[in-house]
Amino acid sequence: MQLTIKATGNHITELSHLLAKNPNNLYERKQKEHIVRIFYETFNHSELKMTTYVVPDSLALVKNTNNTYDITHYINDREFAVSSIFTSFIRNAFGTALNGQPKEEYIEWVSHRYDFEFSFGPIASELSDAQIQSLFEPLGYKVQIEYGETNYQFNMKERSTARFINIEGNVTLQTGLRQIFVLIPVIDNYKHYFIDETEVEKLERYGEGWLDEHPERELIFKRALRFKELYSPLEKTGLTTLPQKKVRLNDLRYSKIIDAVENLSHKKTVVDFGSGEGKLSEQLGFVDGVQEILAVEPSQIEVQKANRRFEKLVGDSQFVMPTNHFGSLFYKDERLKGKDVIILCEVIEHIDPERLPRAMSVIFNDYQPKTVIITTPNREYNSVYDMDDKKRHNDHRFEWTRREFQQWCANRMENIHYNFKFDGIGEEHPQFGHSTQMCIFTREEESQ
Amino acid sequence: MIKIPHAGIVIMIGASNSGKSTLLRKWIADGLLLPSEVVSSDHFRQMLGDTDFIDWTIGRSVEEVDSLYETYQKISSEAFHMMEETVEARCRLNKVTFIDATHIHPDDRGKYIQMAKRVGVPITALLLDTALETLLSRDLEREKPRGKNKVKKQYNQLKKEKRFIKKEEYARIYVLKEGEEVTIERMSNPLLIDVAQGIDIIGDIHACYDEMITLIEQLGYTTNEDGLYVHPEGRKLLSLGDIMSRGPESLKTMQFWMQHVNTDLAYMVDSNHGWKIARWLRGKTVKMAYGDEKFVEEMELYEQQNSEEATTLLKQQLENFLIAAPSHYILTQNDIPTAVCVHAGIKDEMIGKESRDIKDFSRYGETAGIASNGRPIRLDWTVHHHNSLLVIWGHDPKPQPLIANRTVNIDQGVVFGGQLTALRYPEKTFIAVNAKQDYAEDPTNPLNEWEKKRLDPPNITKLVNGYTVLTADLGEVEVLADYVQAAIDTTSHFTVPLEQLVYIPPTMSPTPKPSQLDDYLEHPQEAIDYFKSKGVTTLVAEKKHMGSRAVLLLFKNKEVALQKIGFATLGIIYSRTGRRFFERETEQQVVQSLNEELTAKGYFTKNDTDFVLLDAEIMPWNLKAKELIRSQYAHIAEQAILDRSKLLESLTQGMAARGDLAPWLSQMEEKLEHAEIFKEVFQKYCWNVDDVDAIQIAPFHVLAHSKQTFFGEPHTWHMKQNEAFAESSKWFVRTDYRIITDKTSEQEVVDWWTTITEQGHEGIVIKPEYFITKYKGQLIQPALKVRGRKYLNIIYGMDYTEPANLERLKQRNTGKKQRMALQEFTLGIEGIRRFVNNESLERIHESVLATLAMESTPVDPRL
Repeated sequence: MQLTIKATGNHITELSHLLAKNPNNLYERKQKEHIVRIFYETFNHSELKMTTYVVPDSLALVKNTNNTYDITHYINDREFAVSSIFTSFIRNAFGTALNGQPKEEYIEWVSHRYDFEFSFGPIASELSDAQIQSLFEPLGYKVQIEYGETNYQFNMKERSTARFINIEGNVTLQTGLRQIFVLIPVIDNYKHYFIDETEVEKLERYGEGWLDEHPERELIFKRALRFKELYSPLEKTGLTTLPQKKVRLNDLRYSKIIDAVENLSHKKTVVDFGSGEGKLSEQLGFVDGVQEILAVEPSQIEVQKANRRFEKLVGDSQFVMPTNHFGSLFYKDERLKGKDVIILCEVIEHIDPERLPRAMSVIFNDYQPKTVIITTPNREYNSVYDMDDKKRHNDHRFEWTRREFQQWCANRMENIHYNFKFDGIGEEHPQFGHSTQMCIFTREEESQ
Repeated sequence: MIKIPHAGIVIMIGASNSGKSTLLRKWIADGLLLPSEVVSSDHFRQMLGDTDFIDWTIGRSVEEVDSLYETYQKISSEAFHMMEETVEARCRLNKVTFIDATHIHPDDRGKYIQMAKRVGVPITALLLDTALETLLSRDLEREKPRGKNKVKKQYNQLKKEKRFIKKEEYARIYVLKEGEEVTIERMSNPLLIDVAQGIDIIGDIHACYDEMITLIEQLGYTTNEDGLYVHPEGRKLLSLGDIMSRGPESLKTMQFWMQHVNTDLAYMVDSNHGWKIARWLRGKTVKMAYGDEKFVEEMELYEQQNSEEATTLLKQQLENFLIAAPSHYILTQNDIPTAVCVHAGIKDEMIGKESRDIKDFSRYGETAGIASNGRPIRLDWTVHHHNSLLVIWGHDPKPQPLIANRTVNIDQGVVFGGQLTALRYPEKTFIAVNAKQDYAEDPTNPLNEWEKKRLDPPNITKLVNGYTVLTADLGEVEVLADYVQAAIDTTSHFTVPLEQLVYIPPTMSPTPKPSQLDDYLEHPQEAIDYFKSKGVTTLVAEKKHMGSRAVLLLFKNKEVALQKIGFATLGIIYSRTGRRFFERETEQQVVQSLNEELTAKGYFTKNDTDFVLLDAEIMPWNLKAKELIRSQYAHIAEQAILDRSKLLESLTQGMAARGDLAPWLSQMEEKLEHAEIFKEVFQKYCWNVDDVDAIQIAPFHVLAHSKQTFFGEPHTWHMKQNEAFAESSKWFVRTDYRIITDKTSEQEVVDWWTTITEQGHEGIVIKPEYFITKYKGQLIQPALKVRGRKYLNIIYGMDYTEPANLERLKQRNTGKKQRMALQEFTLGIEGIRRFVNNESLERIHESVLATLAMESTPVDPRL
């Protein structure tokens, strides 16, 4: 991680005072376990070239964080890429310049524009070159991007994921540095925020005078908003608008299932298999006649999300609190025997088809609920979405046509006494049917 | 002579002053009783109320009398309560307790009779029949006399009670006349058998006489001059019961055991069929079905061929023989119990005791009513077995001896066409004889029923709250609920089907100590030293391939796979986290081709196996880890090189003006070199995989065939197999290895390691000669990895060899990693043994899931 500042033209010597760095000395300071260094490559009347870099303590950098038990944690780009870590390390060294508070006699040069060339990197960013350019060009910079080497002995990647940025422009030192300090974390890919809350304030302060008018203001804030907790004060002030993302199909699916459950004569006990974050279980909690809901989900992360959802409804007398039930389709669970309804809403397509028959046999033969409700995507309908051969979710192990699903359901019925009927969810396309298909199985003794 | 059983209650019955305490004191003085074997209400009154008697009658006001009386009653009531608790606790511990109290009232005796029955110990009554005059004269001599009226009252009450007492359920009643000289004899527990020269325990024979004789002969027994089978070393036979019914020769088999038991050459425990036949012989009305009718037919035939007297005599003898069979036997070594032999099951608290309930439980095990087919629904009592005794049982036929939770079932359903099994004790080895035919021809053949259920999904309630796996080599291995749940999440979302997931390779620890050399973190010397310190003299050093760990389960054909795992497949290849290794199509292509190769070599026929289970490394690394390499290793190499070369450029430029930059410059030169090495190292394990032919598989352990595991073989054997696999194969590759036996070969391995790791190879694995190696009874690490200095760049970071880094990294602690390595290793072996043994999916999965759970416990991933 490094930053080189090059300036040419007049009044160059005054710049060293704005930077508060003596060109005759090497600068070396400890920032916790890490070393910040600054040296001048060139310093004369017409040219200044100064480089600052950090020699991080790689072991200290990976200590005491959350994912210590993942190998990728130990081999990562944090000790190389410029990021918020870098800006926080060097902030002290550039304090005078960033704040524009040199010694009294040099204060007039704070607002003086120089011909600058800032080079920094490497960057680790998912932003395209064009996007990076769009961050700097509106500010009056000429941008050059250099790529790292990819000369591997086997085919791996066309282009390096390491880039080095060079921007040229005529700005004051303070503005140039502030823009870089704001935009480095925006460019950086890192998902985990590293520094403290005062950064929020700094973003506002450093952005003064240029950020509000920046045409990519949205992008800059969106990238900054990755660290949501920290920036939520900004969100409230309406500085940004989050895209409205609502999957209507999901709601249709739930309401269809809820309708189906409401119409059942036996619905006291309901099992929501693969309940995920608990959306369907929540709605089942409001169905009249339902007295027990078992939300079955093996993923602890999903269970936590569901719990937060359910907790909000504590005290609502209309609501039957779902019970988290640690379970799985691939094990036998005597506690699930003899329930009224078992629902598998968008579950089966996440299971390898070869594992399905035995799992279904446990439901129909061992648990023997009065009703089984299964929903799954209708692949035919993907044409309506212009999806070609793609699946709707990358964890889907299959998506079936109506014929395939119907055949599969029929195959489940060997030696099993259930009646079954099919239905669709979502708008019906004359050729491709509904987006989601549904089958309701009713135990024969119940349907008589 | 009064016979006192090994355990239980002896109640003294007699009025105050009848001489109970005196008699007991004498027996204690004579050394026939321990003082602790006698309890008395007086003693408890003293202990709780500081006095054993309060005279509330003499010369006091009514109020005082009432109050004193209440106080005495209160003390008495507490004292009796405490005494009963004490007696019952001693009963549970199989101790003898003499109760020194009057026991004149039926209630006082009844509660102890109930107690004995409840706990399962015998109760004996000793009645002291003493004349009234004696009682009264003795009372006057007491320090605190009970008074004439009270003594008289007691005497009369006892006189009335005598005839009732005789009808009460005591094991024995003794009536002692006044002045009679009596002594006692202490009996030993009839349920104990000293293992002595060894016991051969035989499972349910069910009238399969021929198979039984074959088995007994295979066990080394020969006939003596009386035609009885004896063992040259003095071993004895023990039958787990159900020797008759269902099969062809009940009578002959019963006569065999009766003769051998009566001559002390054999033992037999009670059983459900045995009990039923005994009651039938006694003339009770019992429905002779489920194979018992065959015995009746034999008996009728006997009657036709023999005189009435002979028949009656035989019936009487057989009945006595069957009735005498105890519920169970306890095998002892050096007087210490080590195993229990029982027909159908036992609870821990029943061991060493006998009662109607215990007999019942031992005949039928734990049941939950009767199923629609008329058979009892059997519950799994073994899950409640917690003590250290090995319970050997039969009754419930399983295709293979089933070892679970310190119990072993040796009923292999010979009468249903299975096997007759003997367990040799204390050797704990099995010998089995195949049935000549299926004699029972039962439409619900339990062996077939068992096979149908073998692949049923595991019961989640047994697992989800944490559980322990009993392993042969490491005892109980415990897994906690949180990790089990994380593992179930994995098996539910990511792994191959549970039936295919038979083994998860264990993790491996690096050397427990870091290298003593300054610039090395790991070095072979520390591994060699570790094994030497554990008494291992021959080591095998194998080159560690750098690819991805994989398990290959390859079948002879699809039919055998369908039978074994419920899927018609030629094989499965999965990663060390249980995920399918290849895309489905590639897997089929690879497996198909491997099958052709192995079939062409005659592998399956030559080895008489339906499958082979291999532990292997699949190369290249990028095959499986492409995304990780792209986004992690390559990305970081590019970042580092770009960063460092730019800085080097700036520093070089700066040097022109100022010499004091020199140390910064040389540091940067070094760092750039580190980055270049880093980039070189990971590429070493990667090559283009344009089609499947570029894939290499290095199998380093042959884990199992259909009928055996190979954990007893040395690693040199496994390496020989590896060579054989690699021969004329387009997939399998050799693994280079060396053997360490002395200083010279030690140095050769160090040199070899140095050479190959300088070239960038990952390193070596050093293993003790034998797969399972113990030192002073403790399992030692089955292998230690020694990774190369260059390779470790991609683990610990490119600058890890800088002295300041190395010094800190050498403080790493491998303790937890070693523990995990041992546990996972043992679990792996356990699971494979169960798989080969054709045990239920639930039993196999128990081991597999435990390993997955271990893998979700937090540990430094760089180790």
